[in-house]
Amino acid sequence: MRRGCSLGLVIAFLAGGVGIGAGPASSPLSESERALTEKVDAHLARAWAEAGVEPTQAADDAEFLRRVWLDVAGKIPTAAEARAFLDDPTPDKRARLVDNLLRSNAATNHAVNTWRNLLIPEAASNTVARVLAPDFDVWLRARLIGGVGLDVLARDLFSTPLDGRGPFTSQPSSAKSEATPLAYYAAKGYRPEDLAASTARQFLGVRIECAQCHNHPFSTWKRDEFWSLAAAFAGLQQPAQPNGGISLNAREDRSKRELEIPGTSRKVSARFPDGTEPATSKDASARQALAKWMTSPDNPYFAKAAVNRIWSQLFGIGLVDPVDDFGDANPPSHPELLEDLAAWFISSGYDRQALIRALTATRAYGLSSDVEHARPADPRLFARGPVRGLTSEQFYDSLAQAVGMPPELTANPRAVVPNGPRAALLEKFAMGDDRPTEHQTSIPQALALMNGAFVAGATDLVQGETLGAVADAPFLDDRGRVETLFLAALSRRPRPEESARLVAYVASHGSRLALADVFWALLNSAEFKLNH
Amino acid sequence: MDRTNPRRALSRREWLKLSASGVAAASASGWFETLASGAAADPTRRRSCILLWMAGGPSQIDTFDPKPGHENGGSTRAIATSVPGLRIAEHLPRLATKADDLAVIRSMTTKEGDHGRATYLLRTGYAPNGPIRYPALGALVAKEMERPDDELPNFISVGPVRGFNAAAYGPGFLGPKYAPLIVGDRPLGVVQQRPGGPTPLRVEDMDAPPGIALARADDRLGLLEGLDSDFLARRPVGPASSHRSAYERAVRMVRSKAVEAFDLDDEPAVLRDAYGRNDFGQGCLLARRLIERGVPFVEVSLSRIDGSPTATWDSHQQNHDAVSRLCGVLDPAWSTLMDDLRARGLLESTLVIWMGEFGRTPKINERGGRDHFPSAWSTVLAGGGIKGGQAYGRTSRDGATVEDGAVTVPDLMATICTTLGIDPQVQNDSGLGRPIRIADPQGKPIAQVLA
Repeated sequence: MRRGCSLGLVIAFLAGGVGIGAGPASSPLSESERALTEKVDAHLARAWAEAGVEPTQAADDAEFLRRVWLDVAGKIPTAAEARAFLDDPTPDKRARLVDNLLRSNAATNHAVNTWRNLLIPEAASNTVARVLAPDFDVWLRARLIGGVGLDVLARDLFSTPLDGRGPFTSQPSSAKSEATPLAYYAAKGYRPEDLAASTARQFLGVRIECAQCHNHPFSTWKRDEFWSLAAAFAGLQQPAQPNGGISLNAREDRSKRELEIPGTSRKVSARFPDGTEPATSKDASARQALAKWMTSPDNPYFAKAAVNRIWSQLFGIGLVDPVDDFGDANPPSHPELLEDLAAWFISSGYDRQALIRALTATRAYGLSSDVEHARPADPRLFARGPVRGLTSEQFYDSLAQAVGMPPELTANPRAVVPNGPRAALLEKFAMGDDRPTEHQTSIPQALALMNGAFVAGATDLVQGETLGAVADAPFLDDRGRVETLFLAALSRRPRPEESARLVAYVASHGSRLALADVFWALLNSAEFKLNH
Repeated sequence: MDRTNPRRALSRREWLKLSASGVAAASASGWFETLASGAAADPTRRRSCILLWMAGGPSQIDTFDPKPGHENGGSTRAIATSVPGLRIAEHLPRLATKADDLAVIRSMTTKEGDHGRATYLLRTGYAPNGPIRYPALGALVAKEMERPDDELPNFISVGPVRGFNAAAYGPGFLGPKYAPLIVGDRPLGVVQQRPGGPTPLRVEDMDAPPGIALARADDRLGLLEGLDSDFLARRPVGPASSHRSAYERAVRMVRSKAVEAFDLDDEPAVLRDAYGRNDFGQGCLLARRLIERGVPFVEVSLSRIDGSPTATWDSHQQNHDAVSRLCGVLDPAWSTLMDDLRARGLLESTLVIWMGEFGRTPKINERGGRDHFPSAWSTVLAGGGIKGGQAYGRTSRDGATVEDGAVTVPDLMATICTTLGIDPQVQNDSGLGRPIRIADPQGKPIAQVLA
């Protein structure tokens, strides 16, 4: 929080139009994306009519701006970016903003954070997974940029050769990062059952692991099916080291396709959930056959699970919810919409970014969450904007953006200092497994924001970058200062009554310290802590 | 979704009452001093509950259901207790002298053998199934016991081990108001002790930053109140009211006198030593201080010996070593807690529960360990409302099956509720159009363990 950069630069950052705005030269939606948007609108409108529900009014520009920044770029815009967008009179600025955001480094960071948390949640607790996480991030990044299809990520994850070589064969001192998804296997301890459970959840949308111990009464999954999927990973081994330890680099016996169900003497061979059996081959392991099967256009699970997950990231709730619990007992809210989305996704080449462009252009995504006087409706009708909690990364990166932390300290996820402010706040603001639409603020979180060192620094006139620049800016009066703090924290201008109240507060306290109080209140507000 | 009625949020006037003058006046009225001197005598005193949660699943054979003379018993000997005929494992010698207060249930039988699912089952009373988010026992008790003048949260979790199933520690459909205040938290599943010794059992960030005087803090809270009531009026949904409620509770707590409960330095060194100078021991002492100040539910978790990869209740290897080392922490802490509660007249109104998510296989595996075993295992109830000095239920000679008095999770929950004076059949709104009883109606309180 040192005043590192020059005041002139900070003022430019607050007042000027740097960074990502709705720049002039970019493509609007493609024809196919527009068609999908219309299809989604039609499906949801039909459901609203059937339920007799009137959707809320459209979100205003500021509401849309903050929501789409958080959803796509994983943080809020700067005051300058917010101002530029709000003042842009062109009609297609929303679509252009989404497109520009998708091309940003922040969007790739956000996608990497999202997928790392899904695939190796163990990195929060397991030392091996944490050590390997930076290499995993590098590997993920290459598969989450541009228009790379999501099938590539899945295929590469399961076909990556496991031949005993890897980062742990080199001396730890040569800390050159190698892009490898090894963390996925290491985090699961190379155990076939844990790999099968994670794979099924994240890529097929099914909680097949409930069938690990017994046939689950409410599920179609049977115990043998679980272990047959696990058998695709049966060839994994951790070779012993000469010193008696075990290597962290896995080796795979490619010919092995069988495993014994623990506690029984029954052997099962690799078989995928739709009954497909991987062909025996000396070139490809059962795991690699799984990669191919999973991402085949005929696969009944993969595309649906993927579009449902992206939907839930944008709307707060999946069409199937929980997102990893597809099954007869948990039907989708809009079955035909889900089918259409999946079919479109396959034909797009599993283009994640195209899907985001199309979905963020829908009427439902652009609905306001402001429901004053409205009757609450079933959230699964998507008839109003959702109010959601932020992931800890979204929250910290937004906080850093609002208070003016120099970007180089926040842009690189690999630069996390173990006991630094980011690590401490990431831990305290970890989301747990609540639904984001049922997000809860805890007392320790409230205390951290009210009294903790980070916000104390940000609301200090000497240490706080944003606050200091606003308080010192010669071209702003109190009204302008309050407005700039609103834009920095909430990405909107204050309403007239808010402005009047706060400008009166600053005037009556006759001190720049009063501006710090206003900024403190903004950073502590529900509006700042939530995506709405 | 709209579980929490925003209309019930504090009005601006009520919010401001939390500010300096309001709370200071309440403290000055001296209610705490009265409570501290006459806690035990107070006829309206709430019952309270301390849950000693053994995350990972402790071995019943090496704690409360020893099997000496059978190969499944391993090398663990049984010792006599203060109750003739009741024998427990040698690793708990001090607790053995308190057996008059203990009801050992040796006939728990459940069906979940996975940590995550079993943790959820034992901590909420229901197996995870479908979309209903069941509240943790602590949240259920907190709701039933709440009073309008509570200054400390009604559910406090000390050193939780949330890695197995974080949802099992939460308030579920009861909402954020009943979420636990977590003290001595660790990152999910982190094994190592924090650098610099035991986790401080403090609530972090309790004091305002230097230079922010009370009047200025009040000004800030006033500004925040303006922003948040506006936001909540426009977006009357769970996350927004949860935010407001967390701030209200935080402010009320830090400005209360009751918050002194966290100052363990007030206690004589000799008592602190007796509890054990480790997270669990000091956590048990903190639990007593919180119970004393009227907190109805405190849980203290124990799962492993810090710094040791194998000394965990999840003793798949070197079980004997793991259990004996963990009991070295458990035995002094728990037995001192019993003494301390009794000395202060609190034992009669405090139920102490000892349990984990399941037991461990009677048969010892080739690594000297025991694996997960939900079929036949032990829990212990002690203190207020419990008829101590007995073992309830019986397992077979090899420990593999329950032979008498099988107790299910609904039975255990019904027993716990009854002991605390809570009707287990009370219904809560699950938020999904289906009321849920505190305990599954199939459960029956175990009459023989009720005092």
